[in-house]
Amino acid sequence: MSIKTTRRAVLGAGLAAATLPLPAIAQSSVPKPDRIVVNASGGAMANLFRRTYNAEFEKRHGIRVVDTSPVDFGKLRAMVESGNVEWSVTELGGQDFVRAKNMNLLEPLDLSIIDLSKYPAAVRDTHAFPSSVYSTVMAYRTDVFRDGSHPKGWAEFWDVRRFPGPRSLRNHPVDNLEFALLADGVEPDKLYPIDIDRALRKMTELRPHISVWWTTGAQPAQLLVDREVVLASGWNGRFYDIAKRGAPVAVEWQGGSAKQNAFGIPRGAPHLHWANQFLQVMTTPELQAVYATELAYPGLHPDTVNFVAEDIKPHLPTTPANLEKQFWLGVDWWTENGQRAQEAWNRWMLRR
Amino acid sequence: MDLTVRGVVRRFGAVTALAGVDLTVAEGELLTILGPSGSGKTTLLKVVAGFEIPDEGTVHLGTADVTMAPPRSRDVGMVFQNYALFPHLTVAQNVAFPLEMRRLPKPERTQRVAEALALVELTDYGHRLPRQLSGGQQQRVALARAIVFKPRLLLLDEPFGALDRKLRESMQLEVRRLQRRLRLTTLFITHDQEEALILSDRIAVMSAALIEQVGTPAEVYARPATRFVADFVGESNLLDGIATEGHGAEVSGLGRVQAGASTGAPGARATLLLRPEALRVGAEAAALPNRASARILETVFLGLSVKLRLQVEGGPEMLARLPLRPSAPLPVTEGEVVPLGFATEDVHVIRHG
Amino acid sequence: MSSATADRRRADPARARERMLVMLALPALLLLGVIFIWPLLRLLSMSVADGTLDQFEKAALDDLYVMVLYESMEIAVLVTVICLALAYPVAAWLAQAGRTGFILGMFFLLLPFWTSILVRTYAWMVLLGRNGVINRTLRDWGWIEFPLPLLHNLTGVLIGIVHVMLPYMVIPIYAALLRIDPDLRRAAEGLGAPAWRAFLRVTLPLSLPGVFAGCALVFVITLGFFITPALLGGGQVMMIAMLIEQQVREFLDWNFAAALATVLLAATLVIYAALAKLTGGQGHGAR
Repeated sequence: MSIKTTRRAVLGAGLAAATLPLPAIAQSSVPKPDRIVVNASGGAMANLFRRTYNAEFEKRHGIRVVDTSPVDFGKLRAMVESGNVEWSVTELGGQDFVRAKNMNLLEPLDLSIIDLSKYPAAVRDTHAFPSSVYSTVMAYRTDVFRDGSHPKGWAEFWDVRRFPGPRSLRNHPVDNLEFALLADGVEPDKLYPIDIDRALRKMTELRPHISVWWTTGAQPAQLLVDREVVLASGWNGRFYDIAKRGAPVAVEWQGGSAKQNAFGIPRGAPHLHWANQFLQVMTTPELQAVYATELAYPGLHPDTVNFVAEDIKPHLPTTPANLEKQFWLGVDWWTENGQRAQEAWNRWMLRR
Repeated sequence: MDLTVRGVVRRFGAVTALAGVDLTVAEGELLTILGPSGSGKTTLLKVVAGFEIPDEGTVHLGTADVTMAPPRSRDVGMVFQNYALFPHLTVAQNVAFPLEMRRLPKPERTQRVAEALALVELTDYGHRLPRQLSGGQQQRVALARAIVFKPRLLLLDEPFGALDRKLRESMQLEVRRLQRRLRLTTLFITHDQEEALILSDRIAVMSAALIEQVGTPAEVYARPATRFVADFVGESNLLDGIATEGHGAEVSGLGRVQAGASTGAPGARATLLLRPEALRVGAEAAALPNRASARILETVFLGLSVKLRLQVEGGPEMLARLPLRPSAPLPVTEGEVVPLGFATEDVHVIRHG
Repeated sequence: MSSATADRRRADPARARERMLVMLALPALLLLGVIFIWPLLRLLSMSVADGTLDQFEKAALDDLYVMVLYESMEIAVLVTVICLALAYPVAAWLAQAGRTGFILGMFFLLLPFWTSILVRTYAWMVLLGRNGVINRTLRDWGWIEFPLPLLHNLTGVLIGIVHVMLPYMVIPIYAALLRIDPDLRRAAEGLGAPAWRAFLRVTLPLSLPGVFAGCALVFVITLGFFITPALLGGGQVMMIAMLIEQQVREFLDWNFAAALATVLLAATLVIYAALAKLTGGQGHGAR
């Protein structure tokens, strides 16, 4: 994709959203609706979303943002296929953005509005806006594994003699197959294509020590807090949240499975121009920094780190020291092979 | 076996259902508890059956004190008001139920069920379900079930209430016949005084948690002990007056009425009972010691008799019942003023409580 | 038929009443038709959308789905049996309890319906976990040395589902018991039956329609559970509805999901019919 020279003023370094300069481009030619609908995750995240991106968009353009949730791929598909699209912008859960693009459910992004010039080339896409990075990482109880005596990497996670105690992994093949292969000695850059049989064979070794296969994102953090398990995989923001609130839980970045969260514009979405403008608001590094500070899910604008306090940085997956320990999840492989892997996984789970 | 109830009291909160009831039913006797609803007769039945434990008093079957015994060990057969047949069991299974509970061997069970069904003339109905039977048939099944295990006592709780008049009369006779034949000690509950008079060896009339009088149907009818009994059993003319010397009483409109027995101390209040059939009207009245004249307000033709409503001049309204012969014309007409009279021995004095 | 007879028929009060009842029931029937039957037919048609029975072939021949379906049935049977054992005494108590007792009992029974399934499920996690309220208490009392495995296994799933399903069993049984004339029990006892024999021979058989209705409800609804077994089962329990949900939500393979759902529906109907035949004969005969 070509990098366009921005015609916009480089964003100032002002921290408060109120002082952010308006983009120079004239917008009066495009009629303004009184509202647009943005669909994203609910719960605590929705609050933060409202306080940052929605508030900024409303301030800049004077268009109200109505937020809906949850993120639902099936609904997106139904909306687009019935030609009755309600959302101007929607979050795309997990690895769905590739699928959404393949199924022709997304409008191409207007990169003359959304300035991705500073974004790393690897995450730039014609249809999906890379909103933030999160990672499936290993977490442990700091009162069980003191002074850095915790497993460092998945090979050690698998070593139940040196690191005894019940563990929890997600009841899902994504990440787990990669973790198993890493534990089995596969190099991070040789993970794909995944050898499902080999991965499951390795999983079988650990199986008796997995006391809980978790289903929802809140579970692994809670399992650690309740001392149901001493080691668990989970999304870094969830562990960040409980650690912030004083739980004796810490994260090991080695072998973490990094991936990006994405936003897109459903095909046939109303107010296309303003949908692109909304995504442009989401590129604001100051706002991404608020997100990173509160949830440990940093945006991908490289300037974001400039607005994050030093003590937060060790908790972010994008901090260079952390990033080099992780691998990027192979979204393409999963898009292609997800159903097959899931069936193999179900079959493996059923075998006891 | 005989039943003895002594000093039974049963209270439900502030309500006293039985206020000290004494009663004896002799072996082989059919005793009827007669009373209006709310008089306590159903509670008394439940105490006897064992569904209620009395607060005071005892219940004896023969010599055994069963006051506290559970229903299942009392050996009492009961026919419920709505029969309480087990709807999911056939007629034969219903009748076999008490035998089954007593663990009788199967062949004997079968034989006794057959006997009981024959007794109530339902031999061919054993395989049917209760809902496939008429009301009268259901009742006979209930009866068969209550007697098949040769109970020490049979309880009948208003069993004829749901039947039409004709069926009711034939069932009453059938029950009476069976009870006599099997010499079953029977306690029968009803609010129907006519039924009580037809069926009973003796009647106990209940009112307001107490037994007012126990006696044969003839006694209760002819010589009621209380004003309540007189009023509840049969039709009656109740005359209020003041007692005078020589078995008499002063009744307004009738003057001095001569009774067959003492009316109490002179000057005291006295209540006299005169059954409608004791009244004579017209020429017959002239020869009788108690006389008055009355206007005929209404005549009701009853087939064998005619009922007259009479207004005694300056006195009470009275009922008279005159026998009719099919060939004879009605002796009186409405509006006519006629002489009326009654015999001394037909005037029954009710004691004041 | 002459028009006079027709008029007379129309005027027949019994017929008029029947007609009125049908009219009154019509909105509900239409609603059911629109919100239930129609989507169901759509679902069925989706399972054969590609013009072949391939989806069914996959569902029926793949031992994964057959095994999960079988296991789901097993769990549904277990839940039904446990619910029945727990619910009957509760229903019997409610049937003879006074007004206050009834209202109180119903309140506690219906409590689970006033909380969201997630809250309820997390509450069970707090109670049943290795360091949950129950295990901690038992350890404090010195009754157990190691925590009982109450969560993240079949036990946890059963506890969670039974909790929700209990009212579905209690209410039909309660209704059936209430309809039994109390004189029948008195008659049985008066005829010589100890309480337990009166129950077995009279009360129980007469309450069978309620028992059957309760069992059918619990069995059928349990087959559709997916959140509770996923969370409380900790991966040890897999139910068919979880797989259907996976196909719908994650893989958008609606055709295959429809085929699985159709197989589940068919299996449910077969079992329901078998149950009805088994207990319906004598159960429905009563009053």
